[in-house]
Amino acid sequence: MRADRPGRFSDGRTAESRPVMVRVLSTGLEIRGGDGLLVAVWRTEDLLPDGELADRPGVRLRCTAEPDARLVVEDAYFIVESLPEIAAAPAATRRRRASALAVALLLGLGIVLGLVAGLPQAARLAVELVPVETERAWGRGMAETLQDQIGLCRGVEGQAALDGLVKRLAAGLVPARRQVRARVLDGAAVNALALPGGEIVVFRGLITQAEGPDELAGVLAHELTHEAERHPTDALVRGLGVGALATLITGDASGVLAGAAALALSARYTRDDETAADRGGLALLAQAGIDSGGLAAFFRRVEAAEAAGGHVPAWLDSHPEAASRAAAAQAARPAHRLPPALRDEEWRAIKSMCGA
Amino acid sequence: MIITSLVNLALSVLTLSLWRFWGRTRVRRLLWRGVEAWGDPVDYVGTGKELFIGFLVVLALVYMPLAALYGWANLMLSHDDPRGGLLIGGLYLVTVFLIHAGLYRARRYQLSRTVWRGIRGGQGGLAWRYGLMAVAIWLLFPLTLGWIWPWGEMALARYKLRHTRFGDRAFSCEATAGGLYRRFAVAWLCGAGCGAMVVLGALSMTAAWASGVDMRAMLVALSVVSLLIMVLPWAWYRAGFYRRLAAGTGYVGASFAVDIRTWGVLRLYFGNLVITVFSLGVLRPWAALRLFRYACAVISVSGEPDFAAIAQNSDARPGSGEGLISVLDGAGEF
Repeated sequence: MRADRPGRFSDGRTAESRPVMVRVLSTGLEIRGGDGLLVAVWRTEDLLPDGELADRPGVRLRCTAEPDARLVVEDAYFIVESLPEIAAAPAATRRRRASALAVALLLGLGIVLGLVAGLPQAARLAVELVPVETERAWGRGMAETLQDQIGLCRGVEGQAALDGLVKRLAAGLVPARRQVRARVLDGAAVNALALPGGEIVVFRGLITQAEGPDELAGVLAHELTHEAERHPTDALVRGLGVGALATLITGDASGVLAGAAALALSARYTRDDETAADRGGLALLAQAGIDSGGLAAFFRRVEAAEAAGGHVPAWLDSHPEAASRAAAAQAARPAHRLPPALRDEEWRAIKSMCGA
Repeated sequence: MIITSLVNLALSVLTLSLWRFWGRTRVRRLLWRGVEAWGDPVDYVGTGKELFIGFLVVLALVYMPLAALYGWANLMLSHDDPRGGLLIGGLYLVTVFLIHAGLYRARRYQLSRTVWRGIRGGQGGLAWRYGLMAVAIWLLFPLTLGWIWPWGEMALARYKLRHTRFGDRAFSCEATAGGLYRRFAVAWLCGAGCGAMVVLGALSMTAAWASGVDMRAMLVALSVVSLLIMVLPWAWYRAGFYRRLAAGTGYVGASFAVDIRTWGVLRLYFGNLVITVFSLGVLRPWAALRLFRYACAVISVSGEPDFAAIAQNSDARPGSGEGLISVLDGAGEF
């Protein structure tokens, strides 16, 4: 039998830690105080290892029969080594547990991927339930908010020319989606927005930078396709879903991680929408007899601006790469020359709406 | 700790975030175990299941009704109903109350799961009273132009510490905000000066913008300077706060001190900010580990309590934990 080992013992009733001698028996440990009186007997099968001492050789032990008590035995690794395998479940149980874990993880992964893939379809289904009047009310509200903030560009002849162009392009859409309203806002952005319910917003910057009416017509055709396919409303509904999904996946209460995940997710979905709108826009231009070279010129300008202002990687950017979009628009140009989308005086009237 | 964080992230993604309660528990075990006093380590004995149940209860009983009320108030506002604004104001106060009461309850849970030499910690006191104190201080904050802050912060800390127990004995805390106001005045004046500078800067910026001058370099310089002027006195104030708090605290014959300096506070907070932001929050456990290590390094205890006289804590232990704070915000993360 091995000799007694010095140690410290806390009984879990007070916070005292008293010096003890620990005698190792085949059945367990006998713990005696300095006076030699028996303090506790811990059976081998109840022992739990509880770490090692940091600064000198020694082990910490606990006992399932006295959960609050703590024992430190110096220089006694053999106790831990001789312990029965703690709570070692039979091999069969362990295997079953491992495979259950693997199945659960795969199932979780499958659900996440399914949700990511199914979200656009689910959003589209939900959008079908939104009445057209409600959609129009949302869009009008958003457009008016923007208008109040940025300011409207006015001009009777210019607005009439713009309306005419929109009408001509929208003739290629299904009748239910032809009711579209476009307005020019006094913003410097070289951009246009499709809002829910047939509201299109064109910024002054787009018109002043455009070299001809074909460019405006190209962008309008693109936005009209968004309207026809109800992309803006889709994006609204999807935004709710993406937020919920991202929070679900990351479980991030502070929203930092969830926000980043939502951004990456929605950028991906938006890119799909943009690709669809590019394709539809080219079809609308062809139907209206307008040269898609204007749209190509617009994309080339966007590309030049992107190159100047630092590049955003494609997976983060909401729009597909401008260069490839310009190439697609260029490739769709008809073989013969077409007249410009607007007469000179109409184009001048639109340009003069914002004092250009 | 970094590996634990990454494993937790992977498991959270795969379990639709349900793992986070168990992950947090694992992180806490590591954090607690890293603290040693008089040769014995501190144990964390909470479980993920307790956190999960606490979360579910609060989600159903508090969060859902609160979110519904916020939605209703917004609806009223969009119909130009002035009662909506009133409701939002009321709900805002309720939320401040719930966050602070929730922090208090989270502390009660964590202390009841903290064990040293087999003896449990605990926290008495009333979470709702603590929450009301916090709401009152928040209401007085704008009225006093912020000057309530040191007093209020100290009153809240005192309430927490006086009701903190280890075994059957409570801590004592006599710390007051009296000597803190010198540091606070400096921080306050710097903050006010900084605010004025920002306003002036914005005005001159608009003027310069109109005349077409590029002001970006100026803007960067201005924000760096204002940051330094704001942050340094703030860290100085924080260091002073913790010094006073520790000096006023005692436990059965032991007294405490912290050797905390402005530079240390700055390094700790700035480092943790960088770690948290650049890892998108994933490495928050590492930031918590830095906080624990720093606290262990600066806190010193003089006098050894009569441990034989400290008996086991017999408070009723909360059955589930910290739902309120884990639902309302991330403040109780670790």
